[in-house]
Amino acid sequence: MSSEILNVKNLTVDFGGVRAVNNVSIQLEPGEFVGLIGPNGAGKTTIFNLITNAIKPTAGEINFKGKNILGKSPDRICQLGISRTFQNIRLFPQMTAYENVELGFHSAPQYSLAEAFIRTPRARRIEVDTRKKAMELLEMVNLKEHSHARASSLPYGLQRRLEMARAMATNPELLLLDEPAAGMNDDECNDLIKLIREIHTTMHYTMIMIEHHMNVVMDLCRDSRIYVLNLGSMLAVGTPTEIQSNPDVIRAYLGEPKND
Amino acid sequence: MGYINTIIILGGINIIAALGVAILTGYTGLFTIGHAGFMALGGYMSAIFVKELGVPFPIALLLGGTFAGLCSFIIGYPAFRSELRGDYFAVATLGFSEATRLLLNNTRSMGESINTAESGIAMLFKPIGPLLVKLGGVFGYMSLPSPTNVFVVVVAVILALFFAHMFVTSQYGKNCIAISQDEVAAQMMGVNLLKTKMIALFVSAFYAGVAGGLMAFYFAYLTPSFFTITKSSDLLAAVVFGGIQSLIGPVITGFILVVFPELLRSFAEWRLIIYGFLFVIVMIFRPQGLLGYVEMNFYFVRIWWNKIFRRGQTSQEG
Amino acid sequence: MELFIQQLVSGISIGAIYSLLAVGYALVYSVYNFTNWAFDGFMAFGAFMAFTGITSLFMPFWLAALFSIILTVILSVGTEKLAYSPLRARKAPRLFMMISAMGVNLATVNIINLIYGGVFRKFPIDTLQPIFIKGVSIGRMDLMAGGISFGVLALLWVFLYRTKWGLGIRASSIDIMTASLMGINNNAVAIVVFAVTGVLSSVAGVFYGIKYAVFPMMGIVTIKAMIASIVGGLGSLPAAILGSMILGILETMVSGYISSTYRDLFSFLFLIIILLFFPNGLMGKSSGEKL
Repeated sequence: MSSEILNVKNLTVDFGGVRAVNNVSIQLEPGEFVGLIGPNGAGKTTIFNLITNAIKPTAGEINFKGKNILGKSPDRICQLGISRTFQNIRLFPQMTAYENVELGFHSAPQYSLAEAFIRTPRARRIEVDTRKKAMELLEMVNLKEHSHARASSLPYGLQRRLEMARAMATNPELLLLDEPAAGMNDDECNDLIKLIREIHTTMHYTMIMIEHHMNVVMDLCRDSRIYVLNLGSMLAVGTPTEIQSNPDVIRAYLGEPKND
Repeated sequence: MGYINTIIILGGINIIAALGVAILTGYTGLFTIGHAGFMALGGYMSAIFVKELGVPFPIALLLGGTFAGLCSFIIGYPAFRSELRGDYFAVATLGFSEATRLLLNNTRSMGESINTAESGIAMLFKPIGPLLVKLGGVFGYMSLPSPTNVFVVVVAVILALFFAHMFVTSQYGKNCIAISQDEVAAQMMGVNLLKTKMIALFVSAFYAGVAGGLMAFYFAYLTPSFFTITKSSDLLAAVVFGGIQSLIGPVITGFILVVFPELLRSFAEWRLIIYGFLFVIVMIFRPQGLLGYVEMNFYFVRIWWNKIFRRGQTSQEG
Repeated sequence: MELFIQQLVSGISIGAIYSLLAVGYALVYSVYNFTNWAFDGFMAFGAFMAFTGITSLFMPFWLAALFSIILTVILSVGTEKLAYSPLRARKAPRLFMMISAMGVNLATVNIINLIYGGVFRKFPIDTLQPIFIKGVSIGRMDLMAGGISFGVLALLWVFLYRTKWGLGIRASSIDIMTASLMGINNNAVAIVVFAVTGVLSSVAGVFYGIKYAVFPMMGIVTIKAMIASIVGGLGSLPAAILGSMILGILETMVSGYISSTYRDLFSFLFLIIILLFFPNGLMGKSSGEKL
């Protein structure tokens, strides 16, 4: 069982007396794509925040590639290979699309400070190389023609894709997508499904996706499984078909049926 | 001629210190109102190197700047490690600069009491007692050599601008910009906040320290009263008016802010009042400042060049 | 021992003044998320208005204090309307708010400097004889400054926790958008917050002026209040008061036993030491940003 890339064990966090996440465990094999769903306030984003150590758990363990990453700083965790997008987009607003992606490559600078000041040939080569790789990622998410636009000036849907490209630039092994389809219509959702599938197959990332659009989740996770979270606890795990017919899940989403 | 020289020299010194503030406040988003303190540290240290140790002037300037940079870690490390909000970091810079001035004000009396001390911790400082007396406290550190001239200042400004450009366009500089725009996102994307901010602070304090050194070797003396909060506000003003995330902007305003008060002496007491109102007006009507967010890629120059010589198409909006 | 008690009383009274200032900063910060740097100018303004009331307008002390409070409140609310609310309206970044506040401060302090000159003035009030308790002399001014400052803080507590207005402010400090959706008038909250800020800065200015001197740069003492709130722990009013008390007492002890010259140096070193060992202050919690 040491092949897991991510092993979250009995994760619990309290916010001022409220148990936001309760005893949640998630195991992922390398290359898997899983969905994380649940009603609003179920604690989905909190789980991402816990994995990336934006908040500290009250109890539990998080192991990544067999190593305990609990308590490591978020930037360290990112360098170890976990990257994410944000539910409420957090791009660098005044930077261009290109610069946003580029940041992912050099958030841990690839040359020394002295080389930064005198820009040695090696440093220049690295810059050129980074530029090429950043443009490739922009092309992959279909943003190449917007590479010089300020991030804040891009339409909402493009900003979400840009966030994905930025996250990919950090060269992750585990990619956490937080509601990539939020606010999109059906056509846009279909494009997004294609894009995410392409990313998954070409980059071989392990991915967890939080999403409210059921068709997006069901489609992307059709060969894999979905975790359902409700009120901070894991309600169910299973294939899309299992989840769709699970009475607990239906109840959580639609409320208690009336017993006449 | 002498008058113009004075303006160029003082303007150039202000530009170098303003570039330091631009790197920290303009690019990294860390508000500083204490850069006068780093100028003082750099100034006194390079003066000591030249006068007491006979170190050549250019090397002493660099050593003074390095000393200021290292001293900045005294506030940088505790403040950044504890993730103090930006505004409280500004308090720390102000406190640091006032504490520095307080110490410098009292060097003479400290030195005298160390010299006469017979026991206690003062004995540890015995070797520097005479030096402290020489620094002169409020009376100033007198009769320094004065190698700073127009040529030296112009060369220094060009080098300072060149290296500042190199820094802000490097991967380190770009990480600083990311921090200024969204600290949390930058950290989540792998930017080491503590390290990056410390680097920005070091470079920034280094610039201020070199400016302080040039100042010492222009006036041929130093007193702590050169380095008050007014000086820090002047430097901040250069960056606010010149523009966030711009080097050329603060260079222009850094120079103008020295030239105007020199030309209009009677305007002196109104200067800070006008700056104050301008801060508010600029923030409301043109928060990007004179040249804010115009990267030093000479984008406009390139467009003109392309237009005039029809070489290739103009690049997209950047 | 006498010296110790004397310094302790003096420290508590200066701590009370720091508390007023620290609470003023914390109040604006908690609702609007920026440090109101103009506060330091307001404080000097308050002191000078009371000073003018007594010396030029021949008012009795209580009237001059009232005069100062009213004018400072007008200045504070006016600043909010002219310098802050336009920025807030377009959701300007915090750095811009701080720069704007810094501008108001520069202008206020230097206008005072232009009109009154930079000299130190004694506050025009008869120094009352100190009270002697078992051979320890205790300044009546210290008692008054401490007493009234605590009185003001207590009133503020009642206002924040026992009135509808206070509830509105507290709600806005948690989430200003939601609060306004729930029917809380944002403009009214802004006026009340900045009016309270004005009162606090005026009272602090007058007492600080009485205790030390009245001069344009007197507001620089507000960095002590900020140091105090960092020491206490950011984000809570009791922590700010605790920090203020500790700092006030530390300072008077240093002045009494070591040297008043190095008082400010000790405060600053104290800040650095606290930050190294208690990164979140003595009572502070780590402040996670909402993602």
